[in-house]
Amino acid sequence: MLSYILRRIVATLPVMAIVALFVFSLLYIAPGDPAVVIAGDQASPEDVERIRQSLGLDRPFLIQFGSWVWRILHGDLGTSIFTNLPVSTMIGQRLGPTLSLMIVTLLLTIVVAVPLGVLAAWKAGSLIDRVIMGFAVFGFSLPVFVVGYILAYIFALELEWLPVQGYTPLTQGFWPWLQNLILPAIALGCVYIALVARITRAAMLEVLQQDYIRTARAKGMGQGGILFIHALKNAAVPIVTVIGIGIALLIGGAVVTESVFAIPGLGRLTIDAILRRDYPVIQGIVLLFSFVYVLVNLMIDVTYTLVDPRIRY
Amino acid sequence: MDRRTVLKGLAGAGGLALSGGLSAPAIAQGAAARTLRFVPQANLANFDPIWGTQYVVRNAAAMVWDTLYGIDSSFQPQRQMVESEQVSDDGTTWIFKLRSGLKFHDGEPVLSKDVVASLNRWAVRDPMGLMIKALQQELTAVDDRTFKWVLKQPFPKMLFALGKNNAPVAFIMPERIAQTDPFKQISEYVGSGPLKFAKAEWVPGAKAVFEKFTDYVPRQEKPSWLAGGKQVMVDRVEWVIMPDAATAAAALQNGEVDWWENPIADLVPVLKKNKNISVDIGDPLGNIGSFRMNFLYPPFNDVKARRAVMMALSQEDYMRAIVGDDNSLWKSLPSYFTPDTPLYTEMGGEILKGKRDLDAAKKLLAESGYSGQPVTCLVAQDQPITKAMGDVTADLLKQLGMNVDFVATDWGTVGARRAQKTPPGQGGWNMFHTWHAGADCVNPAAYTAIRATGDKAWFGWPTSPGTEKEVASWFEAKNIDEEKAAIGRLNKAAMDDVVYAPTGFFLGYTAWRKNVSGVTKGPVPLFWGVSKSA
Repeated sequence: MLSYILRRIVATLPVMAIVALFVFSLLYIAPGDPAVVIAGDQASPEDVERIRQSLGLDRPFLIQFGSWVWRILHGDLGTSIFTNLPVSTMIGQRLGPTLSLMIVTLLLTIVVAVPLGVLAAWKAGSLIDRVIMGFAVFGFSLPVFVVGYILAYIFALELEWLPVQGYTPLTQGFWPWLQNLILPAIALGCVYIALVARITRAAMLEVLQQDYIRTARAKGMGQGGILFIHALKNAAVPIVTVIGIGIALLIGGAVVTESVFAIPGLGRLTIDAILRRDYPVIQGIVLLFSFVYVLVNLMIDVTYTLVDPRIRY
Repeated sequence: MDRRTVLKGLAGAGGLALSGGLSAPAIAQGAAARTLRFVPQANLANFDPIWGTQYVVRNAAAMVWDTLYGIDSSFQPQRQMVESEQVSDDGTTWIFKLRSGLKFHDGEPVLSKDVVASLNRWAVRDPMGLMIKALQQELTAVDDRTFKWVLKQPFPKMLFALGKNNAPVAFIMPERIAQTDPFKQISEYVGSGPLKFAKAEWVPGAKAVFEKFTDYVPRQEKPSWLAGGKQVMVDRVEWVIMPDAATAAAALQNGEVDWWENPIADLVPVLKKNKNISVDIGDPLGNIGSFRMNFLYPPFNDVKARRAVMMALSQEDYMRAIVGDDNSLWKSLPSYFTPDTPLYTEMGGEILKGKRDLDAAKKLLAESGYSGQPVTCLVAQDQPITKAMGDVTADLLKQLGMNVDFVATDWGTVGARRAQKTPPGQGGWNMFHTWHAGADCVNPAAYTAIRATGDKAWFGWPTSPGTEKEVASWFEAKNIDEEKAAIGRLNKAAMDDVVYAPTGFFLGYTAWRKNVSGVTKGPVPLFWGVSKSA
C-alpha cells in the first residue's frame, strides 16, 4: 500500500508540470494587462509601458516561463504583482476560511445526503422517495448565489439569527467560527447534497436487490442493520467516489459562495486575481487546486480499500 | 495502514489547519465601539499611491500620508504640512517651511529631505509634476524644515499641484521609502497622516486596518476636504472589502458594517426605508460619463463623423441607463467640466443641448464619407457603468445606420486593447466607454482626458490645437477671471473637435448607520471628524 501511495504521489509530478505549462500559456495569451490596472485610468501609455517593463512582462514567453518554473522548483510561488506580498503568504491568509467552508459543507453533506439517499432507496417509489428526489432536483437547479441570498434574507436580515457575511477563525471560539459558516455551507451544499443523495439512492437500490440482503432479512435482521451495516457498506464505493469528485464542485462553488457571503477565502482571491490579471497569484492558486484534486483522488483510491476489503493495490 | 489510522490522520490534519496553524482574518467580529467599519468602493489591492493611481488607493493613502497643501471645498489649496511659503517676485523661486512637530508613524521627524525625495518621486508620475519638473532648476533641502524649489520660469499653479486630490497626490513619505523607483512598488507604508496603516492585519481583497496615530498634530483650522484639522475620533478604521453589493447592503442593515461608500442605485430605496440608516450624496463632484472615438482611423478620424454622433446622442438615455429613475442623481452636461464648480462653462456646448436631430446627424455622417464599415465598440461588461453606456451607444449607432461591431468584454481587456494603435480590424478599436471623476474635471490640471496632443494624448489620441492652446492659457492665467475665460474657450474648442463625447453628469450615494456621525460630502471619503456611538 505504501509503495502504491508513493508511486501515485510521484505520478502527480508530470500532471502538475502539464497543468503549470497549460496555465502559464493560457495566461500569456489571454487578453488584458496588469500594468494597465496598476497605472490607473488616467495613466499615459508611456507610464503603462514603464510599469510593464519593471514587472518583467515585456520579456519573451520562454524566459518568463523559465524563471517562473525555476522559482517553483525552489519552493517559491512568486510575489503578487499588485500587493507585493508573497503568493504563499496570500494563499496562507485565505486557506483557513476556504478549508473551514469546505469541511463544514462536506460534513453537512454526508450527514444529510447519505441518510436521505438510504431512506429514498428503502422507500423506493413511495411519497418519501419522491419528496427526497424532488428536493434533489431542486438542489441541482438552484444556483448557489440564489440560495445564498434567500438564506441571508431569512436567517440574517429577518430573523437575525446569523451574520450576513464574514469569517471568524476557530481560534476565536467554536460558535463564532460556526455561525459564520452555517449559511454559506447550506448554500454551497445544496448541489452537493442533491448529487450525493441521488448516487446513494441508486447504489443502495442495486445492493438492496442482492441475495445476501434477502438472506439477512430471512435471518430476521432488523431494517437498520440491513441498511446501514450490510447495504450501505457495500454501496459505499460509488458514494465515496462521488463525494471525492464533488470536491471539485465545492472548489468551483466556493468562488461564488465566498463572494456572496464576503468570506475572505481562496475563491475570492482567485476571482480578484483573474480580474486584475495578477498572474503569479492565479498560477499559484491553480497549482494548489490541481494538487488538492490529485490528492483527493488518491485519498479516494485509498479509501476504497477501507470500505471494500476485496480491493488491493 | 488501516481505517482508524487514516481517519486519525485526516482528523489531525484538519484540526491543525483550523485551529490557528493557518492565519485567518477576523472579518465579522463584534466591532469595538471605537472601530469604524467601512465598505470601500473597491479592493485595496496595493498600497503605493504613486505607483498605483487607482482612486481606492488614493482614498486609503489620504489617511496615512499627509500633504504639503490640501484642497478645500472651495477648490483652494490651503497649508497643511507647510507653515509658510515665499515666492520670489519673478515667480521662479519658492521657499517652503514645514510646520514644527511633524512626525512619521515610526517616530522619526518629518524633514525637508523627506519632502524633497517625495516630490521627486511624485513629479515623475504626475502630469502637473512633470510640468514642474520640465521647468525645474533645483529642488533642495535648505535646512531640516525648509526646502526650496527653483524654476526656470513661473508656474502659477504650484500650490494647486502640491495640494490637489487627483491621483497621484503629492503625499510625503520618509526619504528611504520615497527613493524607490516611481515605477516600482514600495513595501513600507509609513506616513505622517492622522492614521497608521496596520500592515500585519492587511488581507488584500478582504480587509485593511488603519489605527489612530496619537502623535499626529492636527491643524487648528476647521476641516474642509483634504485641508484643515484632521481630528480622528475613532481608534480604528477597518476597511471591509465586499465585492457583492447585495451583501454589503445586508451587512449595513444588519449593523455588521457602519458605512458603505457607494451603494448601487438599485439598492438605495431599500436603505432609505431603514430607520437606522442615513443616505446622502457622497461625492458632490460626481462623475462624467464618456465615450472616446479613435482619431486615427475612419470613420472617426473625420470630425464630421464625430460631430454626427454627438449631435444624435441623448444624455438622458445614458444617465437613466446608469442611475435609473432618480432624477436627483444626474444632469445633462453640455460641457467637459464638472457642474457647480467655479470654472464650469457651457460655451460651445450647443451640440449637446435641445432636441436630438437624428436626420441632421445622419446627413453629417454621410458627408463624412462613412460607407458602412464596421465600428468596433469596446464595452466592459463587468463595470455596470460602461455596460449601461455601451448598450445605449450600440443602439444610437444603429439608429444612425452604422455597422456596429460590439465587443463585449471585461475591463481588464478594454484597458489593454484601448492602448492598441493598430487598425480596428487588427486588434485596434473605434470606440470605448469610461467615466471620469468630477474632481479630475474641475480644471485641466489633472484632466488627462481633455488633452488633445495627438499621438501623446490619452487613448483615442485626439488632436485639437485649439484645445491645447487654451489648456496652456489656463496654466498661465493669473486670476480667476483669466482662468474662466480660458476654460470657456477650451470647452468650445474641445466641443468643436469632439475630443471625446460626454454622456452626462451623475452622482452616487453613500450610506451609513445612524450611530455614526460626522460623515461629510467630499471627493474622497473623509474619516476625520467621524465618530461612532455604541
